Amino acid sequence: MADDKDVLRDVWFGRIPACFTLSPEETTEREAEPYYLLLPRVSYLTLVTDKVKKHFLRVMKAEDSTEMWFEYEGTPLKWHYPIGVLFDLHASNTALPWNVTVHFKNFPEHDLLHCTSNSVIEAHFMSCIKEADALKHKGQVINDMQKKDHKQLWMGLQNDKFDQFWAMNRKLMEYPTDEGGFRYIPFRMYQTMGERPFIQKLFRPVSPEGHTLTLGDLLKELFPAAICAEDEPKRFQVMIHGIEPLLETPIQWLSEHLSHPDNFLHISIIPAPSD
Amino acid sequence: MSDNAESPTETQKDDPSIQHAATEHTGASDEKKKIDVLLKAVGDAPIMKTKKWSVERGRTVQSLAQFISRFLKLEASEQLFIYVNQSFAPSPDQEVGVLFECFGSDGKLVLHYCKSQAWG
Repeated sequence: MADDKDVLRDVWFGRIPACFTLSPEETTEREAEPYYLLLPRVSYLTLVTDKVKKHFLRVMKAEDSTEMWFEYEGTPLKWHYPIGVLFDLHASNTALPWNVTVHFKNFPEHDLLHCTSNSVIEAHFMSCIKEADALKHKGQVINDMQKKDHKQLWMGLQNDKFDQFWAMNRKLMEYPTDEGGFRYIPFRMYQTMGERPFIQKLFRPVSPEGHTLTLGDLLKELFPAAICAEDEPKRFQVMIHGIEPLLETPIQWLSEHLSHPDNFLHISIIPAPSD
Repeated sequence: MSDNAESPTETQKDDPSIQHAATEHTGASDEKKKIDVLLKAVGDAPIMKTKKWSVERGRTVQSLAQFISRFLKLEASEQLFIYVNQSFAPSPDQEVGVLFECFGSDGKLVLHYCKSQAWG
């Protein structure tokens, strides 16, 4: 039986095989070969694609090299969402590798944030962690950490160092022994056809009567359409890190073990594939 | 500070979704289309004469920051940083409605703004 700590490793080391192809709109001096790369689910596109940029800039004129951005089947990919979330949301039921189109021109200002350096990614990542801790512990744990501890969280992610990251992150996963879990669970629920980017609300892991609440309870409250009766065909898949956890899973456990390094539980709700 | 519902005096081409907060609230449903935001200046940021605003839930942090910058007549080169709970800077594309749901208190969302990074 897998140890809970093994789950942390499996989550951290999850990878998505991707194939990057230069958009035909871009002008090249020679033909651009596609570039294959294994992407960490828990990282961010702009953090792990330096080699992709170098590869394509080799066949382009220097003056054409502006900010690189990515698109999948016409949808600009938000670099500030974790890679695994983008994949689960847009491409989980398609054949691998994930075919991503690379652009350098016509940056879609209304869809994407700019990412001019790694410090932008770091600032975004740390803000997410602080927001998550504000929900879990009123920010007390992250505020009690020193600046070098914060840096260790970022460096752990940037350099793919599981132990370095979790040496600090485990503090963010603790809660008072007399409580049943965190104050509120940091989560975001995404869907492709939603009117808003994601659902994020206050949700306690334990009911007022002291019951441990589950993924199913969370869905019942915020996305009841994802829960169907036994005899009904499933309309939606509820995906976290590319898997569909059982609805009976306690939400506290999911928060501790299946959160991203940003300390948020990112849940993708996608239409169930019709066979 | 006036509490009437008149629109702000400066011309805003696209901001009917940001208005002075009115004293009465229409209806008791908790899914009001607008939420109340209280803006607090930090450091050398100018203090807004009107601090309380009624903002549509779907409004993003970025568009609110642009509104504040215009209202304060900041230079184009001057950045504005927005913080929640005096601790984290929400993503520019974050909706204020979500922030209100999660971090609002006493029926309003308090946001601190400054011209330089205050809380990292």
